[in-house]
Amino acid sequence: MTDLGFIIAGYGVILGGLALYAMALMRRLRAARSEADRIRRAVGADPLE
Amino acid sequence: MSALAAAARIALIVAGKDATAELRGRQATASTAFFAALVLLLFGFALGPDPTRLAEAGPGLLWLAIVFGGLLTIGRLHQLEADDGALEQLALYPVDRRALYAGKALAGATAMLVLGGLLLPVVALLYGIDLASAWLPLSVILLLGAVGFAAIGTCYAALTVRMRSRELLLPLLMLPAVAPLLLAAVKATTAALAGDPLAELGSWLGLLVAFDLAMLVVGTAGYGFLLEE
Amino acid sequence: MGTRLLGILALVAIVGASAFGLFVVKADLNQGDAQRIMYVHVASAWLAYLSFGVTALAGLAYLVRRDLRFDAVAVSGAELGVMFTAFAIWGGMMWGRPVWGVFWSWGDPRLTTTALLLALGIGYLLLRRLIDDPARRATRAAVAGLIAAVDIPIVHFSVEWWRGLHQGPTIGSPDKILNPSAPGMFVAALMFQLLAFSLAWGWLMLRRYQLARLEWLIEEEGRLGGISAAQRAARSGEVAT
Repeated sequence: MTDLGFIIAGYGVILGGLALYAMALMRRLRAARSEADRIRRAVGADPLE
Repeated sequence: MSALAAAARIALIVAGKDATAELRGRQATASTAFFAALVLLLFGFALGPDPTRLAEAGPGLLWLAIVFGGLLTIGRLHQLEADDGALEQLALYPVDRRALYAGKALAGATAMLVLGGLLLPVVALLYGIDLASAWLPLSVILLLGAVGFAAIGTCYAALTVRMRSRELLLPLLMLPAVAPLLLAAVKATTAALAGDPLAELGSWLGLLVAFDLAMLVVGTAGYGFLLEE
Repeated sequence: MGTRLLGILALVAIVGASAFGLFVVKADLNQGDAQRIMYVHVASAWLAYLSFGVTALAGLAYLVRRDLRFDAVAVSGAELGVMFTAFAIWGGMMWGRPVWGVFWSWGDPRLTTTALLLALGIGYLLLRRLIDDPARRATRAAVAGLIAAVDIPIVHFSVEWWRGLHQGPTIGSPDKILNPSAPGMFVAALMFQLLAFSLAWGWLMLRRYQLARLEWLIEEEGRLGGISAAQRAARSGEVAT
């Protein structure tokens, strides 16, 4: 395949970037979910409500 | 008094207030003009000494200097109020927000016009360009550019008021947004100076007008939302 | 769950579309194999515009309705927009070097417009990062989004006219696969990749929106010490997992 380097660089960065972003997003989401759960538990135990 | 007349009157009052403040703080205006002139000087060092190259680059350098000086000007016009908390006071008045915006934009445009006017002889001198022959189209371009810059700048200035890193954020937001203004102004200036050989001056002026109108509309709307906070 | 299914579908589609574009479709006569980059480049660009379009509209919706959920959509669109714009520029550069001989060409209106789009997008995200109050952040970001939305078409036209006066590279333009005379296979490959990327976009938007809502909840809790907003939201089950 001609210009193989550029094709690899092109597809690699774009598809790889997508994958990295997706994985980072899931990681952020997991962290946020556990934090939110912690809040819910604390809030649920609040006697003022 | 009709609503429109009332709004216009308020706009002029606001503009007048800002202009007076500018004149009183003459130092700031002069310093900004001096800064822009320095930029032009430094461009000479960066791109010189070949006079042909400088003359060709002249329009671009002029408008870059206007943009950089303009950033300082617009920022300052809003900083005056932000410092005193006067912007909040202003927002409390039961006046048409659009009038406030118009007033501030008018003040900004005037300041930009003055800035541009002061830079023209500097450009003529440093880059060896004959500006006098094209004084009419140049004035129009300057006017359109000043209005456009002030229209979008006033809105962005209100947007960044009372924010951290404001001095950095205002230029950061404005520079990409005024790229089409810069392009059109430089192209128009170049065409005007050359006697418009390709009959493109009209197109670029049209683009400037379109930019100005678009930014005035969105600026007015945005300003209203921003002051509602 | 629906979102997970969408994600898997998107992944499969991207793998399939990429394989199709890389190995099944023939190379272009003029541009060679570099043509294949166009499929991901154009797909990225379209999704970039879609993302920012969503941001602008969501911002407008917030200004009208003052519902922070719109703001969550806006920030999701902006983040995805910046990412896809960066991809588009990268793809354009990787295509440009073998085909035009240069990584960057001022004569190409799309490249320059996309660069400005990236700058505006980054500015938007930076603006958001510097404001702590959710309502103020949403308002200011929305206005910034509106200005950018109005600005970009103007940029597009100005750069098109600019190009018209200075002859851009003529060997081949990115437009090639978009015009009606392009070979069917090329168009098919592009459409396939566009579909795949769109599915991925949908999944990413959903997840990013969820994240935004959770982050708001966490923010509120931090600001109000666990009372009121966080309670209400948690109690009403508004913020779903």
